[in-house]
Amino acid sequence: MGSEIWLGLFSGIAFGFVIQRVGATSADKMARAHLMIEGDIPKFMLMAVILSAIGLLGLETAGVANTRVLPTSLVATGVAGILFGIGWGFCGYCPGTTWAAAGEGRMDAVFALIGGLAGTAVFAHLHEYLIPLLYDPFNVGQITLVDWTGNRPAAVMLLVLIFGLCIGAIHLLWKGKNGGQAQ
Amino acid sequence: MDKKTKSPLFWPWLPAAFALAGIILFVFATFGPPASSSGFVSLMKGAVQTAAPKYVENLTHYAMMPDTGSWLFAFVLGMAIGGFVAGRTGRIPVRDIPEIWEKRFGNSRIKRFAATFAGGFIILFAARLAGGCTLGLFISGSSQLAVSGLYFGVLIFAVAMVTSRLVYGRTGKEE
Repeated sequence: MGSEIWLGLFSGIAFGFVIQRVGATSADKMARAHLMIEGDIPKFMLMAVILSAIGLLGLETAGVANTRVLPTSLVATGVAGILFGIGWGFCGYCPGTTWAAAGEGRMDAVFALIGGLAGTAVFAHLHEYLIPLLYDPFNVGQITLVDWTGNRPAAVMLLVLIFGLCIGAIHLLWKGKNGGQAQ
Repeated sequence: MDKKTKSPLFWPWLPAAFALAGIILFVFATFGPPASSSGFVSLMKGAVQTAAPKYVENLTHYAMMPDTGSWLFAFVLGMAIGGFVAGRTGRIPVRDIPEIWEKRFGNSRIKRFAATFAGGFIILFAARLAGGCTLGLFISGSSQLAVSGLYFGVLIFAVAMVTSRLVYGRTGKEE
């Protein structure tokens, strides 16, 4: 048992605690976010990305960031995004929240977790068939916004601008202005 | 913001986003991009290889992931512990069936559990196809300015919004 295990455990505990407290482990709150009734979960997610992107720029300058960009496969990433959206909209859980929600004691999340393990096993079984079919032929590589803007700070600024506009749009278009708790 | 008479049940989104970003940056500094769907692979690999080691050895998807003795599995296990501690020390009600689901489909546990089993199956199958989930692909990827994360993010939010409308129908509108 190296320090890696303890770091993972510690990071997971902190992560699970925060997402429970903000309400992301509640499938009810997640459904209300998707139905444009409550905006605070998507705002929370988008803001966390903005702050992480800015912080990561600092970590990279300091030379302590361990980054790994996943490639974009136009078909595999796209098909997966559509399937994932169907599952997420249907049950209100995503892979990370199932663990924290199951720990919290939500029985439906325990079943989502078991279903997730089954889905993982089926995909692992079909990997040799599906990846060459859907992923590899359409893989356009590890592209990032830096490829368009030319330098990292400009790409971070672009991301902050886009995500900031999304947060603004959610604030205007989702019904509950105060986290939906005011209705 | 207008103050309510009782203190809010949930943390407000902005300070919570600062807390989460702090954890994400800690993970980038001490490990690499945070991920949670990989933890499912690590657990399955650990479980299946005890029963069928030959089967696991021959599959690329298991070969490319560590088993349960890894950061990836420790992280998801930690998330369950974090959820447990937060649930026990807070006031957020814990339900087996979400309110909105109960309003739409009734209080059958079997129906809800079958639905989340199916939903869980789909999201993990999809996440393994893309190489990551909401955290491992969307949040980690977008923080690194990856197009894969942004592309995946746009699709999951858009499709989930449409799906939830189809699932909840009028129940959602009446809220």
